[in-house]
Amino acid sequence: MEILAFVSFAVLVVAWLVAPSRGNVIVVSRTSEDRKAA
Amino acid sequence: MPNTISAGDTAWLLASAALVMLMTPALGFFYGGLVRRKNVLATIMHSFFILCLISVQWVLWGYTLAFGPDHGGIIGGLDWLALKGVGQDPGPYAPTVPHEAYMVFQMMFAVITPALITGAFAERKRFKAFVVFTLLWATFVYDPVAHWVWGGGWLGQLGALDFAGGTVVHITSGVSALVAALVLGRRVGFGREAMDPHDATMTVLGASLLWFGWFGFNAGSAITAGGLAANAFVVTNTAAAMAALTWMTVSWLHKGAPSVLGAAAGAVAGLVAITPASGYVDVSASILIGLGAGIFCYVAIQVTKRFKVDDALDVFGVHGVGGAWGALATGIFATVAINSGAKDGLLYGNPGQLGIQAIAVAASITYSAVMTFVILKLIDVFVGLRVPESEEVLGLDASQHREAAYQI
Repeated sequence: MEILAFVSFAVLVVAWLVAPSRGNVIVVSRTSEDRKAA
Repeated sequence: MPNTISAGDTAWLLASAALVMLMTPALGFFYGGLVRRKNVLATIMHSFFILCLISVQWVLWGYTLAFGPDHGGIIGGLDWLALKGVGQDPGPYAPTVPHEAYMVFQMMFAVITPALITGAFAERKRFKAFVVFTLLWATFVYDPVAHWVWGGGWLGQLGALDFAGGTVVHITSGVSALVAALVLGRRVGFGREAMDPHDATMTVLGASLLWFGWFGFNAGSAITAGGLAANAFVVTNTAAAMAALTWMTVSWLHKGAPSVLGAAAGAVAGLVAITPASGYVDVSASILIGLGAGIFCYVAIQVTKRFKVDDALDVFGVHGVGGAWGALATGIFATVAINSGAKDGLLYGNPGQLGIQAIAVAASITYSAVMTFVILKLIDVFVGLRVPESEEVLGLDASQHREAAYQI
């Protein structure tokens, strides 16, 4: 069972390495300067 | 009765009771952050009010129904009504602590269990209906099931293992939450408009305080201040951490980003799952239980959403599924090497224990689902379950409590 515990943690670590490093970014707020410029 | 009270055991049990007490307001903040800002006070009030209500119900009749002398394996007698006979000497359940200390520790479990359900009917339930429901549910669901498992009832006699409440607390509340969500129906605008959490920081703080209090919940359930409590403490922390990591990872792979709220929900799912097992399993098993909790509970919530069930704060997915997984996992991973007073599970040569655990799971699911349905239908007839649509749109803080959470 100890082996399964190590393996399951290792699977998580590998998943973090292959997971997307950045998702789609959506701008949800702007500064007052941004609004003036617009 | 000779005085056999242990100062260490008593101190630990009273401290644990205080830790578990903190969990109910912590749950209020966990849930409060997840609702829209117009409902945050009402949501926190659910937990705070239950702390008060069940504290009185428990000393008057709840404790004796759950833990009083057994009647046919079904319910406790009324011998300890209003705590008559429950004093400073040890009682039958814990030989080294005052009976009152054991009673108040159990009180905090009775308090938090109905509070867990409130996440399912958040943002739409009439306050009066909530009050009546809580009182009836505690009396006719929690107290009998607690007796079945811990008070000398039929599930305990059968040999079901539930160290700190996988069946008694989490399956009963999780299944009742699903029934409540179905009976009350969806919130106005569900599926059409965004119902995003109004304060994720509040939710993470609530989850952290729940985690803290859970050490009392599980390690306190050892009743004695010794090695069993230490093991329960370690496996509780490990399972919570592993489930948080797993949930976050699954959501990262599924939705493209490591969710903060997912990590918080995952920690709670892990705490739920390890609860029944915490006095029977070792650290390696707790890692696997946490892994399973992170996966199963996440998937359960996706399925619930697919069927458009408005279990507003995912109580069934976390507590119902997490509790069932933990109860079954106890039948798989339990070992007498951790608790010589218990039994081995499937992996240690006793497959029958898994069958007993399955019976306990099925019984608690069936009983709590049927009773919750009946209670809700009765309340709907005599009181009315939901607020009118106009009040729901206005928000429960204003319509039910005439207050606002934020003056900014």
